[in-house]
Amino acid sequence: MGVPFEALLPYGIMIGFFAFSAASLAGLKSMQNGGKAPRRGLDAWDRQMMERDRRLTGFARGQTDKPEAPPGFEVNNPWRVEKRFF
Amino acid sequence: MSSRQPRFNQQALYDTTPLPDDIPKVKELGASSAPLLSASFFIGARCKDYNDDYMMCKNEANGRGEFDCMKEGRKVTRCAASVIRDLNEHCLNEFRSHWQCLERYNHHLYDCRMEERKLNKCVFDNLKLAKTIPDTPKGEEQIHLRKKNTFTTR
Repeated sequence: MGVPFEALLPYGIMIGFFAFSAASLAGLKSMQNGGKAPRRGLDAWDRQMMERDRRLTGFARGQTDKPEAPPGFEVNNPWRVEKRFF
Repeated sequence: MSSRQPRFNQQALYDTTPLPDDIPKVKELGASSAPLLSASFFIGARCKDYNDDYMMCKNEANGRGEFDCMKEGRKVTRCAASVIRDLNEHCLNEFRSHWQCLERYNHHLYDCRMEERKLNKCVFDNLKLAKTIPDTPKGEEQIHLRKKNTFTTR
C-alpha cells in the first residue's frame, strides 16, 4: 500500500510557511528585546524607566549598574513638544 | 542619511545647553531600571532622611520645588549613587544576579526571592542596610521574609 505523498505536499508547504512566519516574528521580537524575555503589563512608570534606560545605554532593554551616568546624560532629556495647533 | 540626530522635531526638543556654572555640579545617577529596583530598598534604608527632606521641601515650595530644592536634590542623587557604588564594591555578584533575574522575570520582585535573599544577606553583612517594606501592617510578616509562597515557587 503506497503512501500518497503527493496529497501531503500542500500540508508541508502550509506548515513550512507558518513555521517561517512564526520563526521570523519570534526572531524579530527577540532582536527588539536584546535576547531577553519581553516586558509585559507595562504602566507609565515602566515606560518612562525604559525610556531612561534608552537614554543611559542607547537601548530600551539595556541595563547598567554604574553609579554615575555617562557624560551628556543630563542634557539628553528632551522637552516634549506638540504640533502647532491652528 | 545624515549621521546627526535631530535636535528638534515635532515630538521632542533637545536642549544641550549645560546648566549654568553658578549651580553646583552633580553627576547624575547612572544605574538603569533593573539595578535601581534591586537597590531601591537599600537606597531607602540609607537615604530616607535625604529623600524625606527633598519631598518636604518640594511640598512646601508652592510649585517651585525644581528650582528651590536643588540643594536637597543633589543630596538625594549623591546618596543614591553612594549606595549603588557600595553595592558594586561589596556585593557585585549578588547584585548582578538579582537584577539580571529581575530583567528576566519582567521586574517582578516575587519571582526573584532566591537571589534577593542572598543579596539581602550580603548587604546586611557588609553595609548594615536592611530591607524593610514601609507601612507593612502591624504583626504581619514582611513579604520578602516569608518561608512559603503561594503564587511563586522561587
